[in-house]
Amino acid sequence: MTRVTTAWAAHETTSAALGALAAEGATGALSGDRGIVYLSAGRVVHVESAFTPDLGALLTRSGAVPPDGWWDAVDRGGTQHRVGHRLVDSGRLTAGALEVCHLGALFDAAYFVLAHDTRAHRFRPGAVHWLGAVRSVPVDVVVRETGRRRALLDRIWPDAAIDTAPLTRVRDARAAGLPVRRSRTLTQVDGVRTAAEIASALACRTYHTLVELRRLAAAGLVTAAPPAPAPAAAAPEPGGVVWDDPDTALLRRLRDALEAL
Amino acid sequence: MANLETSLKECLSAIDGASAAALVDYTSGMALGTLGGSKEFNLEVAAAGNTDVVRAKLRTMELLGLKEEIEDILITLNSQYHLIRLLKGRGGNGLFLYLVLDASRANLAMARHQLRRIESELEV
Repeated sequence: MTRVTTAWAAHETTSAALGALAAEGATGALSGDRGIVYLSAGRVVHVESAFTPDLGALLTRSGAVPPDGWWDAVDRGGTQHRVGHRLVDSGRLTAGALEVCHLGALFDAAYFVLAHDTRAHRFRPGAVHWLGAVRSVPVDVVVRETGRRRALLDRIWPDAAIDTAPLTRVRDARAAGLPVRRSRTLTQVDGVRTAAEIASALACRTYHTLVELRRLAAAGLVTAAPPAPAPAAAAPEPGGVVWDDPDTALLRRLRDALEAL
Repeated sequence: MANLETSLKECLSAIDGASAAALVDYTSGMALGTLGGSKEFNLEVAAAGNTDVVRAKLRTMELLGLKEEIEDILITLNSQYHLIRLLKGRGGNGLFLYLVLDASRANLAMARHQLRRIESELEV
């Protein structure tokens, strides 16, 4: 494996830093304002962001994997970075279904990390995600797809605040007459929840939820809630969290476990 | 157990006349996986373009108030069939399998039957 240099740090944006790391064939975790990108031999193997529900939330909330099954896989496979393999080996999920869900979560998280393309904070060489290898995607594909998604969303309604801020319904907004998925999304808008929390509640991919939310915003039914003077316990705080600690995943698992009690 | 790549391979090997296959997210137009295709037939472009077909049909059904789901969409060309099959299931929501078939060699009923089997490996 190539010895990792610090060339990535010279770049002004996370996407440029990723490009430099990809050219080196680097392995490790690059942290930015809105999440962490895990690389293996210069390819993206995982992305996590506090602005999207992670793979575990998607799989358990949709009912695809029972929470017990998920935690069993995390317990048994977590330390060896083989949680994905565990899920498949235990027969809870086919390998194909896991890959499809994993890619969905990867691109969802990458959208947030790269849509807000600021300077990366740090790179931890050799860091591996506990999920383990599922699929890898070239960096340029991730960067290109993220840009395309941003353009698609902006074409629907050019307000990026919809993606991260708590959302509120415009008075008199009614779900009647809306397509099923959009009205289901609208019913989740309560003045407190963010797009990520709505996606999690619906067990729906975040990008799909963002499309519906921006359409609702374009139709004048939903707006970003004005910043509350005394913010209620609305996590995650947009922009405030820096995900650069190796134990972030552990803390999130802990939080999810506590919530599940 | 089949992963994404082997599922696509199976599309080409198990289905008579199949020359290209892709798994596509029709909300974003991104192909999660492609197999086959050629210089003359860019599968990424086909995948992105066919999301418009799927979305247009879904929108039409919404406007008509039809509560049914699309099982598949068949496009018949002079020498090819293009078969679009929407995946069901919680995690497959928003995905379709796209298959290019040689019309002279393909058996549509068999192709549908095989696709149904292959897609069950990709559904959550």
